[in-house]
Amino acid sequence: MIKVSDPVLIIGAGVAGMTAAVELADSGIKTVLVEKLSTTGGNALNLYKAFPTDDCFYCFEGNRWRPGIRKCFYRSALTEQPNIDLRMNSQVEEITGAAGKFSIKLDIGPQYVDPKKCTMCGLCIEKSKAFSLVSPQCQPQAVSFDPEIEDEGTAVAAEKCPTKAINLEAKGTKITINVSDIIIATGYHEMKPVNVDEYGYGTHPNIITQLELAQILDPLGETKGTLLKPSDGKPAKHVMMVQCVGSRDENYYPYCSKICCVYALKHAAILTQEREGVDVSVVYMDIRTYDRHEKYYRDTREAGVEFVRGRVASIEPQKDDSLAIIVYDSLLDKYLKFSVDLFVLSSALEPSPGSSQIIESLGLKSASGFIGATNPETEVVVGNRIYACGSALGPSEVPESVTQARAVVSKILQNRK
Amino acid sequence: MTETDETTGPPVTLIDAIDMSKLDPKFREKIKSMPNGEALAACFACSTCTAACPTANMWKFKPHQLIRMILLGMREEVLSSNEIWLCLTCYECQERCPQKVRVTDIFFDCKNLAAEEGNIPANVLALAKELLTKGQLYTVTADWEREDMGLEPEVPGLSVEAIKRILKDTRTKKLVGGEE
Ligand SMILES: Cc1cc2nc3c(=O)[nH]c(=O)nc-3n(C[C@H](O)[C@H](O)[C@H](O)COP(=O)(O)OP(=O)(O)OC[C@H]3O[C@@H](n4cnc5c(N)ncnc54)[C@H](O)[C@@H]3O)c2cc1C
Ligand code: SF4
Ligand code: SF4
Ligand code: SF4
Ligand code: SF4
Repeated sequence: MIKVSDPVLIIGAGVAGMTAAVELADSGIKTVLVEKLSTTGGNALNLYKAFPTDDCFYCFEGNRWRPGIRKCFYRSALTEQPNIDLRMNSQVEEITGAAGKFSIKLDIGPQYVDPKKCTMCGLCIEKSKAFSLVSPQCQPQAVSFDPEIEDEGTAVAAEKCPTKAINLEAKGTKITINVSDIIIATGYHEMKPVNVDEYGYGTHPNIITQLELAQILDPLGETKGTLLKPSDGKPAKHVMMVQCVGSRDENYYPYCSKICCVYALKHAAILTQEREGVDVSVVYMDIRTYDRHEKYYRDTREAGVEFVRGRVASIEPQKDDSLAIIVYDSLLDKYLKFSVDLFVLSSALEPSPGSSQIIESLGLKSASGFIGATNPETEVVVGNRIYACGSALGPSEVPESVTQARAVVSKILQNRK
Repeated sequence: MTETDETTGPPVTLIDAIDMSKLDPKFREKIKSMPNGEALAACFACSTCTAACPTANMWKFKPHQLIRMILLGMREEVLSSNEIWLCLTCYECQERCPQKVRVTDIFFDCKNLAAEEGNIPANVLALAKELLTKGQLYTVTADWEREDMGLEPEVPGLSVEAIKRILKDTRTKKLVGGEE
């Protein structure tokens, strides 16, 4: 018999995993939230504005009731809610046992910086390259330490840290826990399109992906939100995006990545409406701004974004760092030649690394490499007391990931009556 | 867009591409600013207009392509095209456009711009001259139906003098000249 107090394992602390953890914890259920990186937030961490509200990612209306937390509820909930056991830099090593009483072996990474003590004063970052701030929005709020980088500054930093937050001797541990249910929230990965030769990714610094563009546009990022060419740090004026790179392509991924059209146009809207003197062309096969997102399509046309239905015929780097790109316009049956400063690929969203091991070790179904549902009617149920939510199930937007996480929570609560 | 003729490698394809930097980006704004152009940019190239058109079958550039050419800034090609004059002005396209683009009316705007540049097909020019000189386009001389209806067979003719005087001060007169 499952008791209300039996803990639940959540793998991955992106939007989906965080939502599941916070909502289960609020319902009195203990959760162990395992994240392989040093900050939670996953892919949504540094995306600047988010469709559909053009708001910051952490500010969903439904969460503003939480007391004492300005807008960003995950910020403190994750570290302060006593029912959440957050394990950073950690991985699941082995899962054994039957549904209802899984035995989980965890590989917990060393905690070099104690997030309860770190005030993010920045002193250590000045002293040594081994310390860095992944993002001002990182959670837990602490700097990260990379033990691979060794310089004379590390010891000084540890010595001088005003709150004594640094422990260079920290060691990883392995623990085994027992849980009743497992939630897989391992998300997605944006494909690095190095193999799609015709787009030249990796051969020229000004050929980037949408996720890389998102980081350039982020006011908290390196360029402080200014659109600069990676090649020389000078402003980029002519941007071209190309859709369906590696998606809907039997050579790579046969499925439509579903949200790349929407975020490409979100970026096009930001570029044409919030930045000075930037023009954007979008080369596409179909524009799939499903549901209410059609608005981005209409707004960007209105803003003067040039939509070219067709494919790229050739890309030639010029001496001045620009790219001469010829596009076949299938509607006109003509070839158009553009001079482009920044070429942005809407690359496929693929299963996160490790998905196939999870599928194999737990005997789950695979849906083009993502976690597959046991029954299409209950999308989030993927095994006996095993659930998945968010992009672990396939490309999804944030609101959908949150809704799926809540569906998982409700399934687990129903099982414990 | 900037000129980028210096390449670092050999050309990859033998394609005679339209150089976007040589097109006129202001053309799109010009049409947009005209009375019918407001929804121009809303066009998403669905080609409903072309499917609706009873005559585009015969055209080199179809209605949706003309709208695209306007959006891309292909001023020359659009204003010198025959198609804008071949349009029957039946409004089928405009009625069906899902984005409320005033396709037919935009072609009127294009005809006006073309005419101002002296870009008027000979047959249209001839008609305009006829109108200015005669005050009417078709002169009907006799009509047998009149007799059947008990009217005198001679057509009394229109009073064209007043019309001719009015036409003298119109833009049509300024554009096509015509005999005094
Ligand atoms: C360029 C771009 C722009 C976007 N813009 C928007 C937008 O404007 N609006 C919107 O709604 N959506 C947007 N999205 C989509 C959004 O990023 C996703 O919906 C959201 O991040 C999905 O969250 P998730 O928690 O399911 O997965 P993820 O964000 O991928 O999180 C998964 C987490 O699991 C961790 N993890 C993975 N494997 C393991 C493992 N084996 N062990 C432990 N931890 C693991 C990862 O480190 C990560 O932290 C955009 C996506 C891209 C690429
Ligand atoms: S010096 Fe200490 S408190 Fe300051 S950022 Fe580094 S670890 Fe945090
Ligand atoms: S969302 Fe758009 S860009 Fe992405 S795969 Fe689908 S059609 Fe292509
Ligand atoms: S108005 Fe002109 S372009 Fe439109 S359907 Fe009629 S003939 Fe074709
Ligand atoms: S019907 Fe309207 S939206 Fe469709 S191609 Fe024609 S002008 Fe564009």
